[in-house]
Formats: sequence, structure tokens, C-alpha cells
Amino acid sequence: MSAEPAAKHLERLDPLDPVPVLVGRPSDVELDRQLFGKVGQKPGKAWYGLMTVCLALAGVLFGCLGYTVVTGIGVWGNNIPVGWAFDIINFVWWIGIGHAGTLISAILLLFQQKWRTSINRFAEAMTLFAVMQALLFPALHTGRPWFDYWLFPYPSSLALWPNFKSPLLWDVFAVNTYFLVSLLFWYVGLLPDLAALRDSARSRAARMAYGVFALGWRGSARHWQHYRIAYLLLAGLATPLVLSVHTIVSFDFAVSVLPGWHTTIFPPYFVAGAIFSGFAMVLTLVIPARKVFGFENVITGRHLENMAKVMLATGMMVSYGYLMEHFHAWYGGNHYEFDTFFKTRMFGPYAPVYWLMIACNVITPHIFWWKRARQSLVVLWVASILVNVGMWTERFIIIVTSLHRDYLPSSWAMYYPTWVDWGIYVGTLGFFGTLFLLFLRFVPAVSASEVKELRRELDHEAHAQAPAAVPHLP
Amino acid sequence: MTTTSYVLGEFQEEAALLGAARRLRELGHARLDAHSPVPIHGAEEALGIKRSPVPLIALLGGVAGGAGGFAMQYWMNVVDYPINVAGRAMTSWPAWVPIAFETTVLLASVSIVFGLFGLAGFPRLHHPVFEVEAFRSASVAGLWISAEVEPARAEAVAEELRRLGASNVSRVDEEDR
Repeated sequence: MSAEPAAKHLERLDPLDPVPVLVGRPSDVELDRQLFGKVGQKPGKAWYGLMTVCLALAGVLFGCLGYTVVTGIGVWGNNIPVGWAFDIINFVWWIGIGHAGTLISAILLLFQQKWRTSINRFAEAMTLFAVMQALLFPALHTGRPWFDYWLFPYPSSLALWPNFKSPLLWDVFAVNTYFLVSLLFWYVGLLPDLAALRDSARSRAARMAYGVFALGWRGSARHWQHYRIAYLLLAGLATPLVLSVHTIVSFDFAVSVLPGWHTTIFPPYFVAGAIFSGFAMVLTLVIPARKVFGFENVITGRHLENMAKVMLATGMMVSYGYLMEHFHAWYGGNHYEFDTFFKTRMFGPYAPVYWLMIACNVITPHIFWWKRARQSLVVLWVASILVNVGMWTERFIIIVTSLHRDYLPSSWAMYYPTWVDWGIYVGTLGFFGTLFLLFLRFVPAVSASEVKELRRELDHEAHAQAPAAVPHLP
Repeated sequence: MTTTSYVLGEFQEEAALLGAARRLRELGHARLDAHSPVPIHGAEEALGIKRSPVPLIALLGGVAGGAGGFAMQYWMNVVDYPINVAGRAMTSWPAWVPIAFETTVLLASVSIVFGLFGLAGFPRLHHPVFEVEAFRSASVAGLWISAEVEPARAEAVAEELRRLGASNVSRVDEEDR
């Protein structure tokens, strides 16, 4: 047996490395042709169909927003005692979804995980668009959104400053910083690809447009030197940032004294939940997109499987959070805490939502113990939807059940969302979809320059390992 | 009047490009650059590029953001418009940590990105090297070297590049503006 087939044979047998992160070894030109092939081109019928649906829903969003602004937030279902409801649920849900993008692009970069390369652009775009949806909710919840600039410390004629000891103001800084830093990180990462698009554009208009956004990138050794350090440092900053953002979001609750909110486990448990839901959303989006774009060779089964594993791990962290919350409610001996966890949530009027949350978040991820489930597109996609639903119900349970029955039974009341609440929520899904479809059409969804680098690294590794891979037979 | 000439050449292999860069430097041409779709290992050493100041810029931005964030909160909530929250100490600084952290990250990131833009000279939508049509491959797959030389020496450099194995050797003259 010659050395070549023996190496191939072994490669296939390696149980730890079943699917590569990059199928084949496409050349730079082939990669550009494939990854940029559909960028800026006339899209197919599916794109127009989806765009119509998303635009219609976005229309619902802006209609409902207009109605809310003109009439006042009394058109929403929240009222004392449930002063926070759909707006804050959706805010936390969208922010959480965004976190997976930063995790993939920054944290996995620092850990030198090769499988991040072909999904990071996609996930970062998801982050940006999700944070845009999230920002809408608190902005509107102020009641008079035209005064939202009061949230920022600026020298005003009112001669006063915001109260920096309020967690709600921490949120303003955290979420706005998160949005800006994510945008910068995403844009810096795009520069080499924008230059490649400029240089391979056929029409003058496209060359001008991509040229302006490429800022004059020439792939110079000096550019690359500053760029690589800048990118790495941005990743290093984005990593604690993403942890801080959901920590601060959880402080909105944890710093208050409401039963079910006042707990120290909130920051880590919120961060784990955010990553759990974010990975679910990446899967929801990437499974159809890679099919439509024919990106199966760069976003391989390995990527999907790894994402399933992350969901399994973070899902169990979330389950542990639930377990500890309940344990502390019992062990702490506080009647109000105990009643919130063991009576109101489990058997109260919102109990079906609670059990749906348990089913989606605690039980669903365990399907990923099975390799066949991690490799089945249908199972992955359905599970990702269930997790998205589950994480939304989790925020519903945290916010609504704690508020609707707190200390005094005389102040208990039920909360029901109105059609405006639903319209805004469903509308943000449409607005998110609209932005995402535009992204898929005009921006390369997979970073070509990073995949080119990945291919070189894989070549280098294969070169270094080739002699060792063939066993020395006597 | 022509003031500067750019001589460009394309290489097939990274090693050949790095060798050519070293050779041109030996001949006394210091203003060299390489252009490639992905970073070339060893390019900085071969071209004699100094360490990037980006980390220092990031540090300064971060320190300014952290100190500035803290100072802003102190001045606004204690000095200029004191806010008494349930009789607690005015300077209860732990409550300012989250915002000071966010301003640290924000200023450091903004400094990194604009520092990068400043160091790379962005935005600069036009550059003499773009005059060469074949140079469009530099962002896709091509490995290019560019030398910024006095017009009188341009032909000699072009000849040297050809001798070192470069293809598509071309010259762009920058007019005085």
C-alpha cells in the first residue's frame, strides 16, 4: 500500500475529526468566485418572497410604533403592577441573541478555534441587527421617546445630570457601547473583503460603492500589520464587553428587591442564557442560508455540530441556573421567594408558559447528546426554534410572574399583552429579517479573506503532519 | 512635474516576494511595500516595518475612557448636581464601575479603529498603485511588491524586479499636485 491512500484512509477513520472545517482546498480565486458570487447580483425568487414577508412585518412594526408614539404607551398591556412586560422581555431576548455573534467572532478568535472563521461574519451581522431591535424597546418604553436624549449626560439647559447609580442608566451605556463596538468590529473585519469586491466588481457603480466603503484598502503589509493587531485587540475588548452587557442587563432585575429577581446568580445565568439563545438563532439562520448560497463546503457539518455542542453546554448551564434559583428559594427560607418559585411560577396562572420554558430550555438541548441529532439538519433547525421560543418564555416568566404577584395580595393583577404588543414583537422579527436579507444580498456573508487564511493554515498543518500521519509499518 | 515613481511587480510565491523585498532593501530602496489578500508571514521583517503603535493607542484610549468615565460620574453626581440616593455616601464609587468599564471599552475600541485608520491613511480612495489594472488581483489572490522611488531610479528597480522573477512589472508616476 502506498503512503498516499494510507494517509487518506487514516484521515477518514479518525473519530475525533470526522468532518473538516473546510471541504477541499479551493484556491483564492475560486473562493472569491464562490463567496462573492451572489453578492450584489439579482437575487432569486426565494429572496423576493422572504423580503416581501419581512417588509410586510416591518410595516406592522412601524405602524404599531407610530400608533404607540401618537397615542401613548397605554396601548400596551403593561400597567401597574406589571410595569415591565413585552418591551423588556423582547429587549432582553434580542440582546441575548446578539451575544452569540460576539462570542463566535471574539471569544472563539482568542481561543483560536478554526471553526469560527466561516460563520463569524454572519453571526456578527446577526448581533448588529438583533441589538438594533433590542434598542427599540427601552427607547419606546420611556413613554416619550422624543426625549430619549435625556438619557445621555449632556450639558442641558435643565442644568441636571443623569443618576449614574441607577442600573437602568448602566444599561444605556452598556447597550450603546455594545452596539458601537460590534459595528466597528464588524466593519474592520469587512475591509479586506470590501476591497476584493471593489477590485472584482464589474459595474462602475458597484466599484465606486464598495470602493468608498473599502476606504482605500490596498492589502499593504503595513495595513495588515496594524489591522491584525487592531482586530485582535478589538476581540480582546469585545470579550469582557459581551459578558458585561448581559451582566448589566441582569442587574436591572437583580439589583431590585422583587422575589424572583433579587438573586446573585443572575449575571452568569443571564450570560449563559444569552449565548444559548444566540447560538440557536445562528443555527436558525445559517441552515437555510448555507443551502441557498451553496456554502456547504465552507460552513460544514462540523460547524453545525460544534454549535449544537455549545447549545448543549450552555443549555445545561441555564438548567443549573434554574435549579439553583429554586434551591435558594427553598433553602433561603423566605416565604415570598418560595411562593414565587414553587407556587406562582409552577402552578400559577402562567404555569403553561413555565412548563413550556422547562420543556424547551431544559429538555430540548439534551437531544444533542446523540451524534445523529447533531448531524441532522432537521433536528438542528427544529431544536433551534424550540430554544428561541424557550428563551423568550424564560424572560416572560422572570418578568411577568415576579411582577404580577409580589408581596401584597391586594396589589396582585394579571397581565395580558394587547395586539400592539404582539404587533411590535412580530414586527421586529420582520425588521430583523429585512436587514438580514439586505446583508445577504450586498455583503459577503462569509469572510473570504479569513477563509483564505484558514486554507493556508490548514495547508501548513497538513504539511507538518503528513509524515506523522502514516504509521511506520515494519 | 513627476516627483515620485511607484514600481510594481507581481510574484507567485511568498518566499520569492520576501526575497525580492530583502534584495531591494540591500540595494538601498527603503520605501517598499507588499500587497496581498492575506497577511504574509515575515513581511514586516523583510520590509523593515517597525512595531505597530496600535497597542499603545489602545492603552491610552482605555485609560482615558476609564479615568474619564469615573471622573464624569463623580463630577456630575457629586460636584455639579449632587444626587442623594437614600442617604448613602455621595461618593459610593462601586455603583460607577459598570459605566466606567463601558467607557473604557468604548474609548479603547474607538481609539483602535481610528488609530488604525490614521496609521493606514484611511480614507484614501485613490492611490497611485491603483493605476495599474493588473494590481486589482492584490485583494483577490495576487502577491505584489511596490517600491516608491525617485523617477530617475525607477527603470533600474523595474529591471531588478524582473530579474528577481516578478511578472506584470509596471511603473506609475505621481504628478506633483
